[in-house]
Amino acid sequence: MTALLAARDLLVGHGAEPVCAPVDLTVAPGRALGLVGANGAGKSTLLQTLVGLLAPLGGTVLLAGREVDERRADVRRDVAAVLDDEAFFPSLTGREHLLLTARGHGVRDPETVVDAEVAAFGLGGRIDALPSRLSSGQRRRLALAAALVRPARLVVLDEPERRLDAGMRTRLAARLARLRDGGTAVVFACHDAGFLRTVADDVLLLAEDACPRLDPAEAADLLPAL
Amino acid sequence: MSAPASVLADRGAELSGAAVRRLTRRATAARADTTAAARLAEVWSSLVSGAIGVAVVAGAVASVRERVTLAGAPVTATVLPASVTAAVAAVLALAGLAVALARLGPVSSTPAAAAWWLPLPAGRRDLLRGELARVTAAVVGVAAVAALPLALTLTDAPSAGGVAAALAATAGTAAALVGAVARAQTRGGPGRAAPLAGAGAVAVAGAAVAGATALAATGGGDLPALPGVPAGWAAVPVAAAVLLLAGAVAGLDRLGAGQLRALGATAQYAAVSAVSLDARELGRALAARDRREPRRGRRFPRVAGAWQAVVAADRTALARSPWHLGQAAVAVAVPVLVARTDGLGALPPAVWVACVAGWALAAVAAGHPARQAQAVPALDRLLPLSAAGVTAARVVVPLALLVAVTTLTGLLLGVGSGAPALWTALCAATAPAWAAAALRGAFRPEVDWSGPVVSTPMGALPTGVGATLVQGLDAGLVGSLPLAAALVSGGPTPLLVAVQLGWSVLLGAGVLTLVARRRGGPG
Repeated sequence: MTALLAARDLLVGHGAEPVCAPVDLTVAPGRALGLVGANGAGKSTLLQTLVGLLAPLGGTVLLAGREVDERRADVRRDVAAVLDDEAFFPSLTGREHLLLTARGHGVRDPETVVDAEVAAFGLGGRIDALPSRLSSGQRRRLALAAALVRPARLVVLDEPERRLDAGMRTRLAARLARLRDGGTAVVFACHDAGFLRTVADDVLLLAEDACPRLDPAEAADLLPAL
Repeated sequence: MSAPASVLADRGAELSGAAVRRLTRRATAARADTTAAARLAEVWSSLVSGAIGVAVVAGAVASVRERVTLAGAPVTATVLPASVTAAVAAVLALAGLAVALARLGPVSSTPAAAAWWLPLPAGRRDLLRGELARVTAAVVGVAAVAALPLALTLTDAPSAGGVAAALAATAGTAAALVGAVARAQTRGGPGRAAPLAGAGAVAVAGAAVAGATALAATGGGDLPALPGVPAGWAAVPVAAAVLLLAGAVAGLDRLGAGQLRALGATAQYAAVSAVSLDARELGRALAARDRREPRRGRRFPRVAGAWQAVVAADRTALARSPWHLGQAAVAVAVPVLVARTDGLGALPPAVWVACVAGWALAAVAAGHPARQAQAVPALDRLLPLSAAGVTAARVVVPLALLVAVTTLTGLLLGVGSGAPALWTALCAATAPAWAAAALRGAFRPEVDWSGPVVSTPMGALPTGVGATLVQGLDAGLVGSLPLAAALVSGGPTPLLVAVQLGWSVLLGAGVLTLVARRRGGPG
């Protein structure tokens, strides 16, 4: 199958110094790639580069055959990302944040879609509260829900399991697996073995000397040693 | 987790940037705690505060004009017409504004807008147009308020038309500057705007000082005054502003989310620092973007002890900050330009204030390494040195820079005065106090916002805020009092030089002892 996302000889980093070895990767529609590595190995930096928020230090990133450039509206339509930039408008409720995203993307029947995601993420009782009144975990759920209230061909998540309780982690992993099976490409960084096993078809281990591909089960076993 | 299997969307139903902004604004307004009356009261209070500020500054400028007409002999040979000095001052002010604009964007996104607006398909031009308008309005407003007292007092009989033209020209220039920097930002060049503006300011100030000094040295007479500007000239900057802002708006689509997010974080950091009156943090916020990886690391082969390590580290920190070195160059230019200006140069208090202002700039630059150390106090605590030892080591680089700045200032002031050596010695003798001031400012405590509040024109402020904020400047100002005596009494004498040196060294030592005691205290 043709790759939706492809990176070749990709060098990523802040400033001039690469944070990890060059990366080669391809992700086809309906496939999920997990990124693992120690803290500081470059997972978040790689994800930001893959979605066009950071310029690569070398190599290329192609989305649907074209160099990724988030300034193009079609790239923003195709990619839903939840990275390490959780921030909210202080005067908008959780529901208003989700409706803004859904309406902004032209979602059909946005109220129904938002209601369904609110229920799926267990935010029903708190969705009309301001972000400052939500717990850290609830704000995380809200940010993740925003990636799913809109259509996307590629979903990019940085440690989606972070700050979620065990039940929500399991449900989110299953949800992402279904999304993947429905044809969406998923790329995510992860430190949770169970999550990795459920969602990833393929895993990339980021390190300074080389970034090898691993089998998800093999990578999950490796996680405690990282 | 059950959810819709697939979410469907129509491109035609996507919100435009303007609609996204409107939706956000309406939701925010619906929840706002303020009433229209409260907002009106706030506007009224701001207008009254602004009017009081304009009146105070206009009064001070009028008073200076009056004194100029009564002034006696100048402190040193004056060769610059006021119009030339005013033009140089305007260039310095515009360069400072350009640097601040370039470092904060001028177009940026708050973290919330970066997270919730920028990933939408809506065009960036529509989304960001309001941000550019807000920045332009703020800069134009501040520039107009700053220019109003000058427009009211710089001519003998100001007319309504003249004041309006001056304000329009100021507002147009400020808006054109915002447009130029924003246009550079949309073309990927905001990083070059700040260094270019800084280098331009240093070059203009340096050329003016060099020209004035050469004329004073050769007795070549005054520089001619700048020609008057024709009627209707205010239309030029206004037209330039319209063109540049239109170009900037057209390029907003080219701005990347990563850049907007980074600039927004810097702007938010700077805004918080400004609101909390923390000039030290504000400086850090504005300086953060130009930092580059050094081409090669230093090995410090001659460093053989903790004391030398501190000095070497401070020297390296200063050498890697060209902005602060440029600031030191402007610090030399300010007193020289004022002293060489017809009228102003015959007012000893004006020359003294210019010396204090210039050297305060130099002290801020010299305190750069110490401010870095203040941000990471654990590093100093790792050194096998007492707090007094670290403080003594930390004053070496500021002292060297301030000796250079004050000596050069004295040398340039002395040309054509008949006593160049005494002027040089007198100014250089202030360096110890200013070096100590640099450290006092760098290591001043945080403002204590928990104290009892007092009502001020800026709203309720805790007591002691002012005293904390002027720490550093106070030492330099008090340390320069003998210089004031020399200016008022008609020039430096060997006795005044000796008094200045003794006073400066004593005060500097006392200040450093206080700084060391504070740093060595608990916590």
